[in-house]
Amino acid sequence: MKKILFGLYAGITVLLMIWGFYQAIYVAPDEQTMHEIQRIFYYHVPSAMVAFLFFAISLAGSIGFLSFRGSRQSWAQIADAWALAAAEVGVVFCTVVLITGPMWGRRAWGIWWTWDARLTTTLVLWLIYVSYLLLRRFAAGPQVQTLAAVLGIFGALDVPIVYMSNRWWRTQHPSPVFGGGQDSGLAPAMLHAFGWNVLAWLAWGLLILILRFFVERRQQKIAEDEAQAALNA
Amino acid sequence: MDTVAQLDHRFTVAAYAITWAIQLGYVAWLALRWRAQRRATKR
Repeated sequence: MKKILFGLYAGITVLLMIWGFYQAIYVAPDEQTMHEIQRIFYYHVPSAMVAFLFFAISLAGSIGFLSFRGSRQSWAQIADAWALAAAEVGVVFCTVVLITGPMWGRRAWGIWWTWDARLTTTLVLWLIYVSYLLLRRFAAGPQVQTLAAVLGIFGALDVPIVYMSNRWWRTQHPSPVFGGGQDSGLAPAMLHAFGWNVLAWLAWGLLILILRFFVERRQQKIAEDEAQAALNA
Repeated sequence: MDTVAQLDHRFTVAAYAITWAIQLGYVAWLALRWRAQRRATKR
């Protein structure tokens, strides 16, 4: 039954992705000044939103791990699996943001990169979570999960700074499209295409997050079995 | 189509293609890990 539901969800997600692509390329109108290059927006911004959400899930998982590690070991392991899975999928989405953004910038500004507040804080966010993943991959010993949880919590502190950066400081990056005052907002037809793409990328992100979570839970089980076998030997 | 529009088109296509390459590449890596784990548990 679980497999059927998961397959159904995966099928709906694929349909949403196709629909989102169709909306972004064929339905959304051409932007007046930037024309076709503006269509990168429909992949760039939803990817950033999903990355932020997943770093928040990683934060919750890290706090959960630190809270339960002394009392309920099984809960702590589940929280840790969520923290790692969300951090990794968040890095995938943040990578998309850091590649599609400069591609848009090259055509809109004439430069690939500038060290403005929004771009720099996003790069720092990506670097923090890449270091989190490297710590998880290469460090050994009983304290790795605890150290990673602490790093995950500090990494998540950068998310609100990234979000607020083009509100707090003058940046090369465009001013906020949503919640940025009277001149912000999107034309209704663009908003429609944007909404479908947010939904599609969120569904896709959750799909791969769930897959990554199960891979990590299985890895924990294998590690437990190996530890048990070593004790019995 | 003028040169500017052509370049805009190429950059947009490249951005969409790279996005999908990253996402599908990650899913393929997950699938490989899943298969490796299944082999490890069978042993």
